[in-house]
Amino acid sequence: MKEGLRQSMALLHTWTGLLLGWLLFAMFATGTSAYFQDEITRWMQPEITGSADPVTSAEGAVRFLQRTAPDATSWYISLPNSRSATTQVYWQAAEGQKRGKRADTSAVLDQSGREVSTRDTRGGYFLYRFHFDLHYIPVLWARYLVGVAAMFMLVAILSGIITHKKIFADFFMLRFNKGQRSWLDAHNVTAVIALPFHLMITFTGLVTLAIMYMPWGIAANYADRTAFQDAVFGKSVDVARSGNPAPLVAVAPLMRTASAAWDGKRVGYVKITNPGDSTAMVNIARASEGAIGSRGEEISFNGITGRPADHSMAKGAALATESVMIGLHAGRYAEYGLRWLYFLSGLGGTIMVGSGLVLWTVKRRTKLPDPNHPHFGFRLVEKLNIATVAGFPAGIAAYFLANRLLPLSMAERADHEINSLFLTWLAVFVWAVVRPSARAWPEALGLAAALFAAVPVVNALTTSRGLPASLLAGDWLFVSFDLVMLVLAAGFAKGARRAARKRAEGPRAVRRKTPEAMAA
Amino acid sequence: MAKSAANARTTGPAGRRIGRWNVASRIVAAVPANYLVTSLATACLARLLAHGLAVNPAEASVTATLLSFAIFATIALFAFGLRSVSRLWLWLAVSGGVLGAALWLSLGMGGRL
Repeated sequence: MKEGLRQSMALLHTWTGLLLGWLLFAMFATGTSAYFQDEITRWMQPEITGSADPVTSAEGAVRFLQRTAPDATSWYISLPNSRSATTQVYWQAAEGQKRGKRADTSAVLDQSGREVSTRDTRGGYFLYRFHFDLHYIPVLWARYLVGVAAMFMLVAILSGIITHKKIFADFFMLRFNKGQRSWLDAHNVTAVIALPFHLMITFTGLVTLAIMYMPWGIAANYADRTAFQDAVFGKSVDVARSGNPAPLVAVAPLMRTASAAWDGKRVGYVKITNPGDSTAMVNIARASEGAIGSRGEEISFNGITGRPADHSMAKGAALATESVMIGLHAGRYAEYGLRWLYFLSGLGGTIMVGSGLVLWTVKRRTKLPDPNHPHFGFRLVEKLNIATVAGFPAGIAAYFLANRLLPLSMAERADHEINSLFLTWLAVFVWAVVRPSARAWPEALGLAAALFAAVPVVNALTTSRGLPASLLAGDWLFVSFDLVMLVLAAGFAKGARRAARKRAEGPRAVRRKTPEAMAA
Repeated sequence: MAKSAANARTTGPAGRRIGRWNVASRIVAAVPANYLVTSLATACLARLLAHGLAVNPAEASVTATLLSFAIFATIALFAFGLRSVSRLWLWLAVSGGVLGAALWLSLGMGGRL
């Protein structure tokens, strides 16, 4: 009876893991990088140095917006946190004006409110958005797809736990150079060491988009979603412009008032509606790094007099739990020590998914009628594995390289950086399809290693912030970035060497079968 | 892929061969039927908390929504863990029926239940 359950769970684990494993690998990889999205953005904008003060930045942003979009319906100012240096502004065009592209109603500013335009890039923010919005496909579809993948992940984790017999004995076991056994160990070690993280991150990931995936809990109690949101965030009062111009209140004192009300925590976000009109409102939100909960405190002010306006948000255990779950997922509150732990756990998750995908082929190869001529399904999985496990990271390295190598004056430069990622990914896939898999593995892993190794080199050649210079200057962000690239390069090089050696040894190495390996 | 799928399901619980239909019916139970039952359970719980136990409706809805993913994952595991497919479908049909009737009654009575 117990063996039967374990077998059916093994079956479930294998197939849920495989079916969306490639997408999950890309989600894990970009999600992991997103814990350092501000650092990646700083690396991708090497011209910008130093840190920015939120109050000065807000004043600069207001000056920029008063010049650029004085008639806008609202201004959104996303202020720099303690890890970033730039301000992101968006504005909503005035009624009657046509809505342009994103680039026409948004800008990246420095502390003094000047537009940052030396190197057009979407930086780490792109990797963060790809994690749940993907790219080239409509955002709505992407989010449903990502949700399905996350649910598969949750089921794969739970069935994996039930399948795994000696979860604690295997905790400390990693046997290298043992073919299938080693892949299984790698899969188990990365899965078990960070198991609480994997469970937490998958569940909270679903929670971040819960209203989209499971709207029926809200539909049961509210006529529509707006009614629910009004109940949670306080009624949204969209007042139309009166047409009577009035000067906007200075935002700096309001930000200090808000900060003081939050025990000195930074302001993260300023929203100004109807700027320049007598109906103007200023809405100030606490920086997300200030606490774990993602739903931060907010204070509204009258935009002319600066008097606090009523703004009530619902409080309760469930809402607080949801807010903390989303906050735990995004990790914006984390200081550097914890941030590295998040990053390493995410890396472990990426390796877990990747080794699981590889394990699928390694286990089945021994059972094939003719291992030298596998059937179509097996070949497809193998090709997709190469394209994903080696090709997607190679694409990320290409994204960083494109940031340094594309001409600064190039039109749509930020888009071309992103295209470089996907072109590299596609190229590795094509390469995997045309080459025999046994050769494509070491070649593709070698390419990923070479591209990651090239990042610090190209950085040193194209900017004045190469590794030696950063070391001398004590610029730990650039030092760490270059070192992480080198560590990734070493990891992929090691993988490439092992894959090449395996090819030389022939299929003998994978013939080994152990009872535990069969059960898992 | 189809062929490898067939390879993978050679033997199942108690060493019996698992048929194609057995797996197909479990997949239908684990995904669409599961989503239906989970949605009903989530909506029922949200109604029960808000109207039966007088919890704030926003809190009730969010509690139910947060739990829904755990419910879905549990049913998905049962869909493959239960030995008998007919018992699985019986369970789903009964719980779906009871939850559906409860929700219909609650909505029909307009907030008094």
